[in-house]
Amino acid sequence: MPIKILSVDDSRTIRMIVGKAFRPYEVQLFEATNGEEGLAAAQREAPDLVILDVTMPVMDGVTMLTKLKENAATKAIPVIMLTAESGRDNVLQIAKIGVRDYLVKPFKEEQLIEKAGRIVALQKKAPVTA
Amino acid sequence: MSQTVQITEVSEFMKRHLADVFDTMLSLHPVLLPGAELPPPGGRVTGAVGFGGETVTGAVYLHLTDPLARQATATMLGLTLAEVTGEGEVNDVVGEVTNMLTGGLKSWLCDAGVECAVSTPAIIRGTAYDIEPMPDVKREWLVFDCGQERFMVEIHVKFN
Repeated sequence: MPIKILSVDDSRTIRMIVGKAFRPYEVQLFEATNGEEGLAAAQREAPDLVILDVTMPVMDGVTMLTKLKENAATKAIPVIMLTAESGRDNVLQIAKIGVRDYLVKPFKEEQLIEKAGRIVALQKKAPVTA
Repeated sequence: MSQTVQITEVSEFMKRHLADVFDTMLSLHPVLLPGAELPPPGGRVTGAVGFGGETVTGAVYLHLTDPLARQATATMLGLTLAEVTGEGEVNDVVGEVTNMLTGGLKSWLCDAGVECAVSTPAIIRGTAYDIEPMPDVKREWLVFDCGQERFMVEIHVKFN
């Protein structure tokens, strides 16, 4: 069974980078463009991990994280926050809500894989043989 | 609240932060050209992200030439230049890089006691345009050399 990862970011660029980072692994990737869509996707797909942006329209990442943790069905889903804002207050705020880890943009794909690999068991895809 | 940060400090922070963002996300190592004249008008893609709070308002503009914007897009998304065919993906990448530049600035300002929030990115495209600052807004230009291309970061800041 592939690991189910939900990427929630209003930036298509970041979603593509996340997708590229996990491509070599047995991962089923789901995408959402804001917190509202992300909450719905989290309830529907029950992902093993959520990669969550902070600043988004409609519903931001902090609000989505708060709602995720308030819901018995989703509160155990681990979340890595992906944020362009590394300020002390910002980091403290998201840490209080119950985030498993956070990654500050700019980031390298290897950093994302390393942090995700500490939470879920990433398996490399088997090489394709002709 | 009195002003605690100077525009020159903002500019110095941006020089360091831009080097980090370009190295990490684009594998590019631009060289600052102190006192350089602004590049001549040409096809440009500009990312714009505003920031504001009780004591500060402003914006960061990243002006890339068309070829550099396409190169950045290819690098960031793991594509070949030939695969970068639409304006949409270039706009997304330029917007995201500008967002990272401004997000870093926002964090630095907040840690210095100047609370603010950032806007979502906007994109401007064209061949000959200038962004006029509002009255009392200080403007800083940073011009960089990046291989065959020059690009600019423009910072507008007003402390209340």
